[in-house]
Amino acid sequence: MINAKKSRDRYYLLIFILPGLILYTMFVIYPFIASLLLSFYKWPGVGPKIFIGLGHYKELFFGAFRNDVLNALIHNIYFFTVTSILELGLGFFIAIMLASNIKRASLFKTIVYIPNMIPMILVGFLWGLFLNPQVGLVNQILKTIGLGSLARPWLGDATLAFPTIILVNVWRNLGFYVLILLASILNIPNELMEAAYIDGASPWNVIWKIIFPLSVPTFRTLLILMFIWSFNVFDIVYALEGAQAGPFRTTDVLGTLFYRTAFGGLGSGNTGMGLGATLSVFIFLIIMPVSILYVHIVEKGEK
Amino acid sequence: MLKLSKHEKIIVYALLLIYSVMIIVPFFMMVMNSFKTMRGIFLKPFSMPSQFVFQNYVDAWNKAQIGTAYMNSALIASTSVIGIIILSSMLAYAISRYQFPFRRQLFVYTLLGLALPARLAIIPIYIFMRNLNLINTRIGLIIIYVSLGIPFSMFLLKIFIDAVPIEIEESARIDGANPWKIFWNIIIPLIKPGIAVVSIINFVNIWNDFFFPLIFINSKSKATVTLSVMMFQGEYISSWNLLFAGLTLAMAPMLILFLIFSKQFIGGMTQGAIK
Repeated sequence: MINAKKSRDRYYLLIFILPGLILYTMFVIYPFIASLLLSFYKWPGVGPKIFIGLGHYKELFFGAFRNDVLNALIHNIYFFTVTSILELGLGFFIAIMLASNIKRASLFKTIVYIPNMIPMILVGFLWGLFLNPQVGLVNQILKTIGLGSLARPWLGDATLAFPTIILVNVWRNLGFYVLILLASILNIPNELMEAAYIDGASPWNVIWKIIFPLSVPTFRTLLILMFIWSFNVFDIVYALEGAQAGPFRTTDVLGTLFYRTAFGGLGSGNTGMGLGATLSVFIFLIIMPVSILYVHIVEKGEK
Repeated sequence: MLKLSKHEKIIVYALLLIYSVMIIVPFFMMVMNSFKTMRGIFLKPFSMPSQFVFQNYVDAWNKAQIGTAYMNSALIASTSVIGIIILSSMLAYAISRYQFPFRRQLFVYTLLGLALPARLAIIPIYIFMRNLNLINTRIGLIIIYVSLGIPFSMFLLKIFIDAVPIEIEESARIDGANPWKIFWNIIIPLIKPGIAVVSIINFVNIWNDFFFPLIFINSKSKATVTLSVMMFQGEYISSWNLLFAGLTLAMAPMLILFLIFSKQFIGGMTQGAIK
């Protein structure tokens, strides 16, 4: 450690710290504080701001806006629950297979990660074409293999649209979770498993008695990240259902609601930057405990 | 390593093969259909194109202005990455090497960005950018990406700097070299692997981003790849042959880079995600 007591050292210390610190404070930290301040004002984006105190919060918790928020919030929780079960469950299962003594594991690793390299918005557009009810490939395949009765308007059906979105999301993201879990499995000391084999353990036992317990910290970190990311979902809904989150808002999430409220409230009736900022504060309050936990874990792990 | 019997291996191969097919077939279908006429797509969606219609690519290239979009995305992503590397490594170096008041607080303060979803604060960022006249400019996006990239990149680079033995720079200090030169000539060359990881992760994330271009860019001449495809999709919603060709063009650079450097990409992305 260099003790920055000499004036020359202090001078260089400031040069190293200030550029990054200023930019980070201006464009990452300050906007959160500004959102909080803005939430107390009524403001359509131009013209004077009108102070209304907790007016927007009243509207959010007790007014007409509440139903929109509740509807979106439920979808976010649904999204988090289903994606975390599918992505962590399937991800762990596939990671175990890739960690075994099979050949060509690295080729499979590459394939598994491919969808992750494609932006979510493009993945959404591609699947939007495949899921078209009349001429989309998915329904055409079903008809070709004699399961035409299963053909559905996947994205146009109020009950199917959101699960379909979740599945497209899983198709795109699963590889990421596979590789993270695989990395954590490969970190387990080989002697542990060797010893278990000498004691006559089956692969099944090794998975549940050794690999799984030692992967729990990774699961925990991934769950935290997934929770934060789940409340940030936007691209995939926007790509497949547009900002209006059709059919009849059955795919609306806080991200699309926020976008409409703040930037393009066509048809939402509740437009304005102030209300949008209030909604962002609300979402932030949901995420905050988990965020603090995450920063704590990261800092502790780093020491 | 998990030891499987021959029997179990066959099942594992079968399952991995099914999963691989589920990943590859959509891409394969996209490319196949991008060479067909509209009629061909709707009548024979699964067959090979009866003749390859390269005109789809010419039209998609021109109408979606993919060339401009490549340039914009490459320019924005690479400039942002350079900015991120410079600012984050300097910050990481200060926190890693110097003893000063509020050092730990500064570290935690910077880490906060890891857990703050920037999209939530988009309204003030938007107003800020509007006041600075940076709406619909590439430099505006670059400033945002650099700011957002700092927390994670600082964190990862600090781990690499911590691993460099301090004796290496102490002798240079005794010889009277100034800290600026020590940083650039001694530290930076030693943390190249870390810089590579941070560059890959940030480049991919920025190239693939859609939300910030959607909010800040409104002209085709400045649109990134993701935004161009979105605009194109809106205009040619019924011309599926062009849409498939446009999507293929939009995905191609990243896919090709990934298939060539898959080891580096996978190593970087997984190393960076959880530390």
